[in-house]
Amino acid sequence: MQETEKYFKELVQKYSEPLYWHVRTMVGSHEDADDLLQEIFVKVWKALPGFRGDADVFTWLWRIATNETLSHLRKARVRAALSFSRLDAEAERVSDPDPYFDGNAAMLSLRKAIAALPDKQRMVFTMRYYEDLSYERISEITGTSVGALKASYHIAYEKVKQFLLDSD
Amino acid sequence: MNKKLPYSTPPGYFDSLRSQLSGIPESKSRFNFVPYFALAVSFALLVMLGNFILTKSTASQPASDQEIIEYLIDSGTTLAQLESAVNNY
Repeated sequence: MQETEKYFKELVQKYSEPLYWHVRTMVGSHEDADDLLQEIFVKVWKALPGFRGDADVFTWLWRIATNETLSHLRKARVRAALSFSRLDAEAERVSDPDPYFDGNAAMLSLRKAIAALPDKQRMVFTMRYYEDLSYERISEITGTSVGALKASYHIAYEKVKQFLLDSD
Repeated sequence: MNKKLPYSTPPGYFDSLRSQLSGIPESKSRFNFVPYFALAVSFALLVMLGNFILTKSTASQPASDQEIIEYLIDSGTTLAQLESAVNNY
């Protein structure tokens, strides 16, 4: 048990910051990313005894984080739909002043464009654009084929481009 | 992280985050008795409710003489059986 706890603390030291950015780029808001990080590391702690040390820890952690984040995004969309908001309410929410957003107007438009993407396209787009992950790596994390990921990224890229052109 | 990122965090955020996350093993290893207690209370309430319903439906007024007679006639009890039962009582 003490070994597991020691290993968990090593994971926290090494991966909490990159995982935060992985989640933050998908959800946008600092508060949501902060809440999700807590939930993700609780899951990591619970799953750690079953984790095989020889498996790729990066892929394992990113898979847990990605699944949790997608689940969070799905719930947010359901909540928005149930409250009779428009389904792109999240895209509007990001236009609210955010003290932890440092970008210029173009970056804010990009943020809105990403928030308007369907969840899986958003995931592929942010993992490629912000994290520079290879399609092979994203495929290992998500369990989706490289071909399907390339198609999703291409569609997401075109949507973002169109969104930015329309917002000019 | 990539320089394209337009996001920031509160000052000292990651130190505080690491400290909070490192506390997860201690907080999660404490025995949480609340769900077990809730289960026990639910079970007790269920038993009490069942007992109340059963008592209410079966503990009605004692049968009248007329009801007893009708029951004995309907069940085909003979006079001989009745006499024998009364003698043995």
